[in-house]
Amino acid sequence: MKKNLRDMRPVYVVGIGLHRYQRLSETPYVTLGLTAVREALADAALEWRSVQSAYTGTALIGMAASRPMLRHLGATGIPMAQVENASASGSTAFRQACIDVASGLTDVSLAVGVDKPGPVAMAPGKTRMRDLVGSRVVPFTHFALLTQEYMTRYGVSAEQVAQVAVKNNRNGANNPYAQRQKAVTLAEVMSGPAISGSLTRLQCCPVGEGAAAVIVASDDAIADLGIDRSRAVKVIASVTKTEQVYRDAKNFDAELTRETVEQAYREAGIAPGDLDLMELHDAFTIEELLYTEAMGLCAPGEAAGAIAAGDFDIGGRCAVSASGGLLAMGHPIGPTGAGQIAEITRQLRGEAGVRQQPNAKTALAHMVGVGAVCVVHILQKGA
Amino acid sequence: MAIDAERYILAGQHASIDGRKQFVVFSRPEKFMPNQKAVHPELYSPDSAGIPSLTGGKCRACGYVFFPPQRYGCESCGAPPEKLEAAELRGCGRLHSYATVHLYQGKDIEAPFTVGLIVLDEGPAIRSLLTSRTDDGLTIGDRMNSVLVAAGTDPDGNQMVELRFARAEAGR
Repeated sequence: MKKNLRDMRPVYVVGIGLHRYQRLSETPYVTLGLTAVREALADAALEWRSVQSAYTGTALIGMAASRPMLRHLGATGIPMAQVENASASGSTAFRQACIDVASGLTDVSLAVGVDKPGPVAMAPGKTRMRDLVGSRVVPFTHFALLTQEYMTRYGVSAEQVAQVAVKNNRNGANNPYAQRQKAVTLAEVMSGPAISGSLTRLQCCPVGEGAAAVIVASDDAIADLGIDRSRAVKVIASVTKTEQVYRDAKNFDAELTRETVEQAYREAGIAPGDLDLMELHDAFTIEELLYTEAMGLCAPGEAAGAIAAGDFDIGGRCAVSASGGLLAMGHPIGPTGAGQIAEITRQLRGEAGVRQQPNAKTALAHMVGVGAVCVVHILQKGA
Repeated sequence: MAIDAERYILAGQHASIDGRKQFVVFSRPEKFMPNQKAVHPELYSPDSAGIPSLTGGKCRACGYVFFPPQRYGCESCGAPPEKLEAAELRGCGRLHSYATVHLYQGKDIEAPFTVGLIVLDEGPAIRSLLTSRTDDGLTIGDRMNSVLVAAGTDPDGNQMVELRFARAEAGR
């Protein structure tokens, strides 16, 4: 009989760590990754020798990235594998670490996402299925098309869409791990270089490098290794789905998100209104509107109004992109999904300082990736 | 210079651009019936009169119609390649969305150019360049028709033509 994560042993996030997301630099990927892993180990008060398997989420570094990096923590001979799922690589690495612990294969596992900007080798470009536009349409145009359709259908202005960038940069300005740490005004967002359609530069996530690490553990490990149970956050849902043929819907991104999140809500036994906080795939401003609606946080066409009313601010009914999101915290690819888990864990522990969403108890992390694939996790404190 | 209009009609370059009927002028107008080659011959034919059709695909097992064509297997029902066949798509549809691209790294064309998401009458939603560089005069819901536009010459001197979409004239 098919199971979900909830049916297996409980899994807890017990350690988080990051290397700041930043523009491409001379820093080797090994340094980026080790910085994040060491911070996660210190956060969990664990030694490297306690970690029993490791998954490295990376899309751009190239073959065999794990051991050349992790050997320098001490070559312990543990199972390692790289995980690539386009933008959702880090999220999927986290899921694999959770599965190891939930299944009983390990008691402590690591998911680390690490990437540096570089040449992108894309499998979809090798299918020899040529369409009319080829490389003339890249992601920012895909989302510019969705933006125009959304604005027309719901009577939402370009300025209202751009407010997502204002909110998320305001949050990022308070995040020491964010690539963009500068609040911006609506005028600054609108007057930036036009990229595609109504999307200006600040409405698109930056390109950068970084790392994020998450350590997950079982109840047995928490007891045996003296891990602080009061700071352990339980993973109550883990769902991955891929795009299907949606006969009537033209927006496969929203449909895929809707299906994946609905399954995650069922697995977690919660409703959208139970979420205090979420991190989602806001690589472009329009995505925050599309996905919050697809996830049932508000009715179709109403997300811009919800943002204007402060519903998705820190302090609102559900803080969306409290970290700054992909728009301001950044999207180095491999790290991104793992960094989302780090942020929601920090928030659920009540340790987010100036960025703290009050009384945060239940949070969701959402990424989508080229394919298309959608990966969703729900975490809960005191579960 | 007197232009022999009949030569241009025979050469299949009767096009509707920006709502006005126009003749697309070749770079070498004195050449009668120049060789035309489609930039993507597997997707459309270079010498269509009227509205150029596109070559898509259809699954004989479940009826699913798709673009671009492929012979790997049916995405909807999983039927194998033997069940897939080519399907001619009329080149008419409705504008579902559009966006003017300002940033482009390629060397084949220059930004700005406008991309349309068009839902063809047969069902598939496709992306195509539009004949106009900007989005002036475009409205979501517009009826759109395909046209062939001049796209430079190849090293052998053949006139290249590329399929794009333009707003349909009234009544089409």
